[in-house]
Amino acid sequence: MQQEKNIKIDIRHVNIFARDVKILKDLNFEVNSNQILGIIGPAGSGKTTFLRSLNRMNELETGWRIDGQILLDGKDIYDSELDVNSLRKRVGIVFALPVALPMSIYENIVYGLRLSGVSDKKRLDEIVEKSLSAAFLWDEVKDRLSLSGLRLSGGQQQRLCLARVLAMEPDVILLDEPCSGLDPISTTWIEDALTELKKKYTIILVTNNTMQAARVADMTAFFLMGELIEIGLTKQIFTAPVKKETSDYITGRFG
Amino acid sequence: MQEHFNEEIENLKTSLIKMATLVDEQVERVITALETGDAQLCKGIKAKDREIDIYDNLIQTQCENILALFQPVAIDLRFVLSALMTNNQLERCGDIAVNIAQRVKKTNDMQSLIKESHILEMGQQAKLMLKEAIDAFINNDIQMAKKVVDSDEIVDNLNKQIFNFLVEKMKADNALIEPCSHLIVLIRNIERLADHACNIARNIVFYVEAKIIKHQARLNRQTE
Repeated sequence: MQQEKNIKIDIRHVNIFARDVKILKDLNFEVNSNQILGIIGPAGSGKTTFLRSLNRMNELETGWRIDGQILLDGKDIYDSELDVNSLRKRVGIVFALPVALPMSIYENIVYGLRLSGVSDKKRLDEIVEKSLSAAFLWDEVKDRLSLSGLRLSGGQQQRLCLARVLAMEPDVILLDEPCSGLDPISTTWIEDALTELKKKYTIILVTNNTMQAARVADMTAFFLMGELIEIGLTKQIFTAPVKKETSDYITGRFG
Repeated sequence: MQEHFNEEIENLKTSLIKMATLVDEQVERVITALETGDAQLCKGIKAKDREIDIYDNLIQTQCENILALFQPVAIDLRFVLSALMTNNQLERCGDIAVNIAQRVKKTNDMQSLIKESHILEMGQQAKLMLKEAIDAFINNDIQMAKKVVDSDEIVDNLNKQIFNFLVEKMKADNALIEPCSHLIVLIRNIERLADHACNIARNIVFYVEAKIIKHQARLNRQTE
């Protein structure tokens, strides 16, 4: 079946270096809009480095360098004229450990909006409800929005972080092992949220839990030692992977 | 974790090999009984089939446990799925051996008709296919598996040929209606035996090559 292509992110011959060591090698693939791309691979394979390169977070590290191109909607995100802050609004990220800010649930959500100059109370209220609903958290916290975000459980805090990203209305959501510290129920909440969110966003999910990629990703990419070994429909990767390395990894025979 | 998983897979494989060996022995006995007309050889076939049924349940439980506890993917998942399917086919082969044994008892005085109709040839072919399918399973031998699948045509042709022969016999002599009816049931059983051997061989192709080759000929015909 021919898939209709609607390329959101185009990675073209990307090499990433840290202090002259090539840590990602000639990555070349596309990510389609409104899909979840799962990235799997053992520790040190470059998954997180790749993810962080998508909103230029790697730049914060010294000795870091990239060559090749990463195009978002056809525009090079490493173009020297591009404003990094506006890029990071368009490409939000959720980290492995939830980073709730020491302020109320409400303020956690509107923090970025206030920084970018939104102050209309009615608009902020709307966005808070919309974002928390989309992150499957609204029903649990709607009566206690003034409660500190830190008082929420780990799973709720992670959904709070997701809601904070959604409040900025990004195009792309990056998730770096978002469920690594969560119980199975909270994991289900996040996974359900992702499945809903892909209707509106493009999602890239780095996960050490291969079965999570199997459950939620449309496409799965397998990274190994800085190389993209295989990318394909998740169904195909988990039933009949082409490369032996992929098969060995997903069946747990690796190393 | 991986070690534990490998152990479970090995245990499953061992159960399947034991079950397949039992089924192979049952089929060997009933086909020999058919050839020699020695119904005594069929003694104990039913009791042995109960052992096969016990393996059927055991293997189903082993597969269920592996799926629930390890959630295998790719080649491991295909192994468990093909094990489940092969288990089913082997259990059916065991039942067919019992059915053939019953027919042997009813037809042991029809040796000349059996010999004349090429039923023995068909029985030998089906038995060989099952043996080869089991060997292919034990050794992951894809070439052997494909050979078994291709051999099905021989049994199908013999089936048609023998059926026509028996119908002609019945038309010619009313006294042969009952014995020939037994033999028609018998060849039906032998034909099913070969079908199951083929399905076991197809399971091996699915496991090793991730290809589903069931119903291929029919599906190809429909798309032509």
